[in-house]
Amino acid sequence: MDELATLLGRVVLRDRAAFTRLYDLTSAKLFAIALRILRDKGDADEALQEVYIKVWRRAERYQPEQGSPMTWLAAIARNHAIDLIRARKPEASSIEEAFDLAAESAGPEEDAINASEGRRIDRCMQTLESDKAEAVRRAYVEGLSYQELADTYKVPLNTMRTWLRRSLIKLRECLEQ
Amino acid sequence: MSSDKPEEWDRSRDEIISGEYVLGVLSAEDRRKVEARMAVDRRFAQQVRRWQTNLSGFNDGYEDIRPPADLYNRIERRIFGAGEARAPGLLEGIWGSVMVWRGLTVASLALAAGVIYFEGTTFLPGTRGKPLVAELSGKDSPINLVATFDFDSGRLSVVPAALKQNEPKSLEVWIIDEGKPPQSLGILPDNGNGEIIVTNEMRKSFTEGKTIAISIEPYGGAPGGAPTGAIVALGKTRFL
Repeated sequence: MDELATLLGRVVLRDRAAFTRLYDLTSAKLFAIALRILRDKGDADEALQEVYIKVWRRAERYQPEQGSPMTWLAAIARNHAIDLIRARKPEASSIEEAFDLAAESAGPEEDAINASEGRRIDRCMQTLESDKAEAVRRAYVEGLSYQELADTYKVPLNTMRTWLRRSLIKLRECLEQ
Repeated sequence: MSSDKPEEWDRSRDEIISGEYVLGVLSAEDRRKVEARMAVDRRFAQQVRRWQTNLSGFNDGYEDIRPPADLYNRIERRIFGAGEARAPGLLEGIWGSVMVWRGLTVASLALAAGVIYFEGTTFLPGTRGKPLVAELSGKDSPINLVATFDFDSGRLSVVPAALKQNEPKSLEVWIIDEGKPPQSLGILPDNGNGEIIVTNEMRKSFTEGKTIAISIEPYGGAPGGAPTGAIVALGKTRFL
């Protein structure tokens, strides 16, 4: 994994050989993400191109203390793919008005994230009921919206929102222990 | 924040929304709201990144799938323009191996150290007035380093000597302000003196947090003023 961080550093410096190598090492994972979420090979092809163009242009935004390079790259791929499908299939807003855009939230800021935190999620997922844990995982892996999850699990939309929100709170409590 | 609600409530709501964003369940409109908030609220952005790391274990659920073979060429064409795809650099092969890179990192540490001062002369007493030299090389490293010890001053310098290439190459030093193009500081002289006198104009660029990088360039330096060759080493500036 250290190699990926080094390669990203060299991509910042416009090193094309490093970019090639980065692609060779990571494209199979990022392509899998795009394909799983978009469920169409042509769309995934196009998305993967956009993702790597972003990586080339934004490599300097990667900060090692905020997680592994692969986590950062996977987030770019997931965000890109999710944005595409959400734009295609509009969903109702679920954020209430009080979510104040300009406010600076209170409390201390922790800059460093323990790189091992990705591993602990498996243990914390076991604290959830199995169908809720499955809904959380499928939301993430397949990029399903609240409405799609509600349809899949045959529950009302608001019930699905409650499921996932309670699950997130439980996970946060478990992860902080 | 709304003033009629306790701060704790805001915090758990923010924690949920940042988690929903990373899960991916939000609408397009709500995703933009979250991103706008991230841009102005560092602590909230930090919550999002924490979920991103926490949930990254789910990425194991994506089994690797090779993209079509020509996709990389299409990406290169879109970034670099037509006719330039997969232009094999002279040094491309060097970077193929992690081991080589690790070897280079060791060499670059020595390079970064530049000049080391010794307390007293503990080297074996040699012929006074003549420096003692050692040429340092690694099996797969493209650069050689020369360590020169001057008995009179107790000064040991470690500098790049020659590039093991078919054509002569230069090592060029760059300073990079995040998000801006690299600016050249000059060529490392191959006469055993690893020092560059920085121009007055460039001296003000030296502040903490800048990236210093060394690239392998055509003899005499990168022709277009921007690095063209492989990066040998890079690191951030800081005060000791």
